[in-house]
Amino acid sequence: MDSPARLVTWSLATFHATTFVLAIVLFAYSKDALGAGLSGLNTFVGLGLFVALWATTYVTTSRALRGLDLMGSARDRSGYARRAFRWGAANGMAFLAILGVVAVLTAVSNTRPGQVASGILLPALFIAPFALVVSAAVGGAVGALFGMIDLGLFALAGFTGGDAEARL
Amino acid sequence: MALDPHVVHLAIRWLHVAAMATAFGGAVSVFALSARPSPASATAILGVALRYEWLFWGAAGVLAMTGIGNLASFGAALLGPATNWGTTLLLKLGSVLALVVLSLPRSLAVARLTAWADRPGLVVTLRNMYGATAGAFAVILGLAIWLAHG
Repeated sequence: MDSPARLVTWSLATFHATTFVLAIVLFAYSKDALGAGLSGLNTFVGLGLFVALWATTYVTTSRALRGLDLMGSARDRSGYARRAFRWGAANGMAFLAILGVVAVLTAVSNTRPGQVASGILLPALFIAPFALVVSAAVGGAVGALFGMIDLGLFALAGFTGGDAEARL
Repeated sequence: MALDPHVVHLAIRWLHVAAMATAFGGAVSVFALSARPSPASATAILGVALRYEWLFWGAAGVLAMTGIGNLASFGAALLGPATNWGTTLLLKLGSVLALVVLSLPRSLAVARLTAWADRPGLVVTLRNMYGATAGAFAVILGLAIWLAHG
C-alpha cells in the first residue's frame, strides 16, 4: 500500500476525477444552472455515477502511467502528455458506456415490453457509435488538458530538471 | 421498499463530515508531529505523512461525491450565486478546488521524500506543507459552518 509509485497513481486518478467534477459544479453554479441540473438526478444514481467516474479514471490513469517513472525520469514525463490524451479518450468512452447502460436499463424498466426493441434498443444502437466518437474526443481533450496540468504540478513539486534529484 | 430521503441525506451528510474530519484531522496530526519532533523521529513522521496522503485522496473523492449529494438535496430551493449564501458557496467551492489542485504537489513531494528520509530539513518541509494544508482546511471548515448556520 505504501509504494510511492502507487501513491502517485492513486493521487493523480483521484485528483483528475475530483477536479473535473468540482470544476463543472463551480462553473454550473456560477451560471445559476446547478439546482436545475441536480434536482432531476436520483441521489443513488448521482453517487453511483461519481464512483463509476472515479473507478474508470483510476483504471485509465494506471494504464497511462504503466511503465513510466514520472518521479525519476524527465524523458518519461515528456512522453506522459501523449498517453494522457490517449487514455483520456478511453476514459471518456468507458464512462459513456456505463452512463449508456444505466440510461438504457432505466428506460427499459419504464417502457412496456412490446416497445423495448423499437423504442429503446434500436435508437440506442444507432446513437452509440456517434456518442462514443464524441466521448472519445471530449475525453481525449480533457485528458490532454490534465496531462499538461499534471506536468505543471510535477514542476511545482520540484520535478523540473533531468533525471537528477528534484529540488525540494 | 423506498428509503426515506431524509435518512439518505443524513447518511450523506454524516459521510461528508467524517471525510472532512479525516482529511482535516490528519493534516493537523502530521503538522503537530512535525512541529515538535524528537531528534530521531523524521522517518516516523514521514511514514505517517505517507499514510495520510492515501487517506487524504480517499477523503477528497468522498467529499466531492457527498458534497454534490448535499447540494442536490436542496433541489430547486438552492439559493442562487448572487445571494450572500451563494457567494460564500462559490468561495468555498473555489477554495476546495484550489486545495485539491495544490495538494497534488504535496503528495508528489511526500512520495519523493520517502527516498530521502535522511535529508536535512525534511521535518521543516513537512511542517510547512501540512501547516498550509491544515490552514486551508480551517478556512474551508469556517465557510462550511457559515453556510450551514449563517
